[in-house]
Amino acid sequence: MSERNYTTVNPCIMCQPIGSVMAFKGIEDSMVLLHGSQGCSTYMRLHLAHHFREPVDIGSSSLSEKGAVYGGSENLKKALKNIISRYNPKVIGVSTTCLAETIGDDIVRIISEFREEENIGDDRIIIPVSTPSYEDSHNSGYIKAVEAIAKTFTMNDSKKEIFNNKLNVVLSENISPEDTRELKHIFGSIVGNNSFILLPDISETFDAPMTGDLHKIPLGGTTHSDIADMKNSAATIGFGITNDNKAVNYLEQRFDIPSQNLPLPIGLEYTDRVLTALSNVSGAEIPDEFQKERGRLIDAMVDAHKYVYGTKVAIYGDPDNVLGMLSLVLENGMHPILVVASSKSPGFAENAMERVNQVKPDCDVTILEDVDFDTFNDAVKKAKPQMLIGNSNGKYIAKEMNIPLIRFGFPIHDRVGAQRILTLGYKGAMRMLDSITNTILEAQDAEMAAKWSEPESYVPLSESTFHSAEA
Amino acid sequence: MPDTTSVINTLDERQPYIALKQAKKSSELACDNTSIAGSMSQRACVYSGARVALNPVTDAIHLVHGPIGCASYTWDIRGSLSSDKETFRTSFSTDMKGLDVVFGGEKKLSKSIDELVELYHPPVIFVYSTCIVGIIGDDLQAVCKDASERTGIPVIPVQSEGFKGTKSDGYKAACHALMQIIGTKEPEITSEYRINILGDYNVAGDVWLVKPLFEKMGIQVITSMTGDATADTISKAHGAQLNLVQCSGSMTYLAKWMKKEYDIPFIKVSYFGIEDIATALRETANFFCSEEMKRIAEEIIEHETNRIMPEIEAIRRRVQGKTAAIYMGGAAKALTLIKGFRELGMEVVIIGTQTGKQEDYRQISYQVKDGTVIVDDANPLELADLLVKQKADLMVAGVKERFLAYKLGVAFCDFNHDRVIEFEGYEGFLNFARELDISINSPVWRYVGSKLVSSRSESTGIKENSKSAEQNTAESNKIIGERSNMHEISTITLQESMT
Repeated sequence: MSERNYTTVNPCIMCQPIGSVMAFKGIEDSMVLLHGSQGCSTYMRLHLAHHFREPVDIGSSSLSEKGAVYGGSENLKKALKNIISRYNPKVIGVSTTCLAETIGDDIVRIISEFREEENIGDDRIIIPVSTPSYEDSHNSGYIKAVEAIAKTFTMNDSKKEIFNNKLNVVLSENISPEDTRELKHIFGSIVGNNSFILLPDISETFDAPMTGDLHKIPLGGTTHSDIADMKNSAATIGFGITNDNKAVNYLEQRFDIPSQNLPLPIGLEYTDRVLTALSNVSGAEIPDEFQKERGRLIDAMVDAHKYVYGTKVAIYGDPDNVLGMLSLVLENGMHPILVVASSKSPGFAENAMERVNQVKPDCDVTILEDVDFDTFNDAVKKAKPQMLIGNSNGKYIAKEMNIPLIRFGFPIHDRVGAQRILTLGYKGAMRMLDSITNTILEAQDAEMAAKWSEPESYVPLSESTFHSAEA
Repeated sequence: MPDTTSVINTLDERQPYIALKQAKKSSELACDNTSIAGSMSQRACVYSGARVALNPVTDAIHLVHGPIGCASYTWDIRGSLSSDKETFRTSFSTDMKGLDVVFGGEKKLSKSIDELVELYHPPVIFVYSTCIVGIIGDDLQAVCKDASERTGIPVIPVQSEGFKGTKSDGYKAACHALMQIIGTKEPEITSEYRINILGDYNVAGDVWLVKPLFEKMGIQVITSMTGDATADTISKAHGAQLNLVQCSGSMTYLAKWMKKEYDIPFIKVSYFGIEDIATALRETANFFCSEEMKRIAEEIIEHETNRIMPEIEAIRRRVQGKTAAIYMGGAAKALTLIKGFRELGMEVVIIGTQTGKQEDYRQISYQVKDGTVIVDDANPLELADLLVKQKADLMVAGVKERFLAYKLGVAFCDFNHDRVIEFEGYEGFLNFARELDISINSPVWRYVGSKLVSSRSESTGIKENSKSAEQNTAESNKIIGERSNMHEISTITLQESMT
């Protein structure tokens, strides 16, 4: 709604701590603890449970007025102690909130005091990360936590350093459990299942198979020995090119591990780029399986090209996911009229424009970042896209504009299957393309319905006939 | 009275909050305290309490003064419906950044209010304070007072710094905000009998199934707080002669204030379940001492009960004897649910709340059978252990508990913000019964815990997951589901159901 300078209306971002939670949840046998008031952890648990449809436990130091005045050290220590006693996690991520940061608690010191006072052995790893909610967004919270995890596990110099000839794969943005599984499949098939280390890995932790039993800490996640071993790897691939992947930089600077940052493999060309890079860095052949998948994707693109060509779409969400989706949409001849990154990201606009210029230079594209949904809404009204692609929070705009919304990203709280949305690799591209194309076809059907008359044999049965048939 | 000797394994400090109801044993359940750090409480904060109680005011701007997270996580999560404006479903935040924390957020807040007034012309703005506002010392009262004078509309501070107490303190903060609007306009009086509905949030449209019942009895409902309320109707609330309080945890404070300020008495009621709705209608009619009203109330009760009974009876036959676990935010809902389950022939085996008080737990204890576990401020591990130990077939709670129950093979009913069907009134109780029936009797549970056995093993096909004793003890870090409602799976029945 017109010009606003001071109020954020319908936010596109969440705060840093939730990003850190998503990263910590991808580590084996780990718990997260938020140093702040009780509400933070509960709200994030709700938000994540809505999306992943899994139980999500996040600890809180439950800071009260007393803690806020005299410092939260006592609360944090008690929370650590209670979480160890109840969950016995090998790893505890401790993220700060706005409250803890504003009262100036030094969590690194508090944790080291706690270790000493409670005689915590070296096998229990506690990872502090500073994620004040009044800075940046959930995206930066994720990157900071991944960096803190890599640092903490590789810091200990006394550990043996034996070159492992493995490939580090480090994410800088949250992807779905299904996408994580696909990524692991791609890497496993090309370099071998034991030859890469993916950090973090939520494929099981946020999408656990139903067995009838409840694990206090969900199984899965990147193993501790793998994370510790990252300093011995031959190379690192960082996923995401819109923001600095701090863990990748750290591994390169500290351990001389050569690295390259690649876009998320969404769509044909970005997937090509990732597979080629993977083959180059490992010296391995690209298996026939992917050649065939790629061929099928191109077949699907040809099948769909007439239906989708020129369709105006608006894409919004986290920057690297959006960049990938932009690439997919461009390759298929669609018109990405509006492209929006939730948070400010140094490499977003540049990379987005590069993709536009490579594929469809005459295309008129508006790129926005760090805006709220109200500003996005204004832009949508002006650009008049025929379809939205993004998370559930765009549903109000889609409804008002009477255009379809293809859901992907985070959060998706109004549909099932957010854990299983596949966008990565050739397979993911096929899924997304099918979904986009079928949505367009359905809209066409609805439009045509007015002009068609139903063949007589399809005239609906009368209600009574229907009921008696059922009985 | 409950016995608080260790019911399940948990933190020592938590033991007094969990009790087994037993005859002839008496001890009070610990409750109404701040949550224990690291106990993984299901509660939220002061802000959340204020937000859930106030947010349904449909035409108000709800402006969150704080960093973005607090507004992000509460954007349109209430599930309340509106018969008019939808302003309350938009999320407004001052989105405080590092500089605001250092130099104070008063200026930004003040300008934010001005631009919102200009853009939206709201009848009222509620300004919620969050944790850091309380730390950096922004003077919310002063900013709001100035803004009210400047803009000519009420700009009302909601003192809900997250860390300053519990969710219940947030309810109080919300009540304080409402007090500042009540009595500011004169109501149009259309009936000699007038009430307010307090503590109904119109989740999924609940109020719309209740209000017409009172209107049929010739009563004018001035406002419903806060479900489907507007600034205008709230401002006229003092025109009522009686307040009906449903969610007592959040609204008794306001009702007491209205008693003191306007001499309006209140009674606690519930519109859930056949018995409680009837009681609510009868007590209201009794209050007004109108024979005509009593007659109409009896007519409604008879007619509506007869209308829904055949289907309720049919459902009762399918759910009878099943056991239920209740974990609610407030005690009023928990209490009325006990009766609701009784009406469906089900037995409550676990009952707990986030914000119950001593008196609430005393009443709960009278209502439940011996052997029922009563718990305050439970956490996921306790709830999971209790579901297994007490052999619950169904849990009624909110989203955080839903997936925990599912993982253990326990059916579930959402009685929180997330539901999209009404549970209040006669039609609502029918909806509730149908929901239980659907979840308890769905065929999906028979597959939970089943396992595919490869042909090399002695048996073929799918069989139930069974573990040896050694395996069980080795798996101390997980809670083994009982799956009491799971049907025996034989290869043959499964094959049949798949064809």
